[in-house]
Amino acid sequence: MIQLFQVSKRYGTKLAVENIGLNIRRGEFVFITGPSGAGKTTLLRLIFGAERPTEGQILINGINLTRINQLKLDLLRRRIGFVFQDFKLLQNRTVYQNVALALEVTGESPGIIRKKTHQALRAVDLSKQEKAFPLQLSGGEQQRVAIARAIINDPLILIADEPTGNLDPDITREIMVLFRSINLRGTTVLIATHSRELLKDTEQRIVVLNKGRIVDEIA
Amino acid sequence: MSLRTWIYFFKYAFINILNNRLIHMISMGTITISILLLGSLILLSVNINNWIKEWGESLSMSVYLEDGIDEKAKKRIESTLIHLKGAEIKGFISKEQAMVLLKKGLGDQTGLLDGLKENPLPASFEVVFKEVRNHQIDPKKIKKSLEKIKGVNEVQYSEQWTERIKGLMHVVKLLGFVIGCLFCIGVLFITTNTIKLTIYSRRNEVEIFKLVGATDWFIKIPFLIEGALQGIFSGLIALLILFGVYSLFAMKTVHLFGLPALNIIFLPNEYTISIILLSLILGLLGGFIAIGRFFNL
Repeated sequence: MIQLFQVSKRYGTKLAVENIGLNIRRGEFVFITGPSGAGKTTLLRLIFGAERPTEGQILINGINLTRINQLKLDLLRRRIGFVFQDFKLLQNRTVYQNVALALEVTGESPGIIRKKTHQALRAVDLSKQEKAFPLQLSGGEQQRVAIARAIINDPLILIADEPTGNLDPDITREIMVLFRSINLRGTTVLIATHSRELLKDTEQRIVVLNKGRIVDEIA
Repeated sequence: MSLRTWIYFFKYAFINILNNRLIHMISMGTITISILLLGSLILLSVNINNWIKEWGESLSMSVYLEDGIDEKAKKRIESTLIHLKGAEIKGFISKEQAMVLLKKGLGDQTGLLDGLKENPLPASFEVVFKEVRNHQIDPKKIKKSLEKIKGVNEVQYSEQWTERIKGLMHVVKLLGFVIGCLFCIGVLFITTNTIKLTIYSRRNEVEIFKLVGATDWFIKIPFLIEGALQGIFSGLIALLILFGVYSLFAMKTVHLFGLPALNIIFLPNEYTISIILLSLILGLLGGFIAIGRFFNL
């Protein structure tokens, strides 16, 4: 599902990631970990197409990211859900409108948007808060809104960058349960985290980065 | 793109304007002032053109009478003049009045006239012809026919006046065009920067739209609609203010150099529509230029 071949990314003279080779299969659940500045976020941004690699090739579901134009990249992003540490919600739109946005940009009909938005909100247990604005919600609830938005398109891949970084341990557990349930439905899940707590006792594959290189892999 | 998508664009353009009231008000205020300045310039230019046209269309003529003309002959000449198409007698200047006017004109050098034993100046009728073009008045023909009347010594009119006016109109038009173009560039610069400011304040929103897979045009169009709406509203407000100021001035009649009273006119309809269209285009163009740099995610 996700294939990286000798991928490097350079910002000026600084090498953010170097010679990364990675193969993530369909339906896998993978953690990417490492200290701050290890290149986790850069790697996710490369996979998401927000950055173009300086060297190497990236294939997502067989599509070479380095060779497609902006429009095709935009269309591909509709099949990739993204969750951030800072939630990235539109503050002037309600919970419902934030989640529906991911379908509205695809030009889907209002009926389907309504149906799927309610389904996604039910999946993250936020049906009762659909009319609330993000700032009226707790951090955990806001992250659940972001997850609902990420899964509404039945994505092939769900990418999360430090999704529990701002949340307390109980909420973190809730969010991780959500990610596992999404993964069980067949979505490939890729989570970047530096939290050792999150990785403790996990049975999932862990890719360890340091100074832009893969230094370890725990299957 | 479907009608549903366009409805969505307009809906969110209006919602965004409402949600970002303050920044849009600042932006619209700036554009309004710019359009107002441009509109004032156009209004001034339109009025100057109109005044020049009015002057150019009024022809003044002096009909000099022979010395010792009797009252009957004078009346006959006056009657002939009154009945000329578009003519209006502005006054009769007697020999004595003509001398007084000459002395006034000479100022300190009045002494030059001391040696005169008798007044050599003729009495005259001062005639003004209005709407020369409409009445197809030919001053040469009138001069010839008037000089045939008994008691009329000579007829003079300002032949070069019309040509000069035409030249002046040309200069005013050219100046108006150059200054207008400079103003348009200024307005575009201001519009671009103010819209850039509104977009900059919402760069997170742009980023979120990109993250969920919105195409560039899906994000750009509501911003462009906002720019266009800002432009139209600013143009309308500027025109309303301009009309208010015009109404205040139009209440007073303007006299200039003792020439016929000048009419202050408002912008003709085609100019009003052009200003609104220009505001719309400037808003759109400003939005278009401003938005370019926010699509590199």
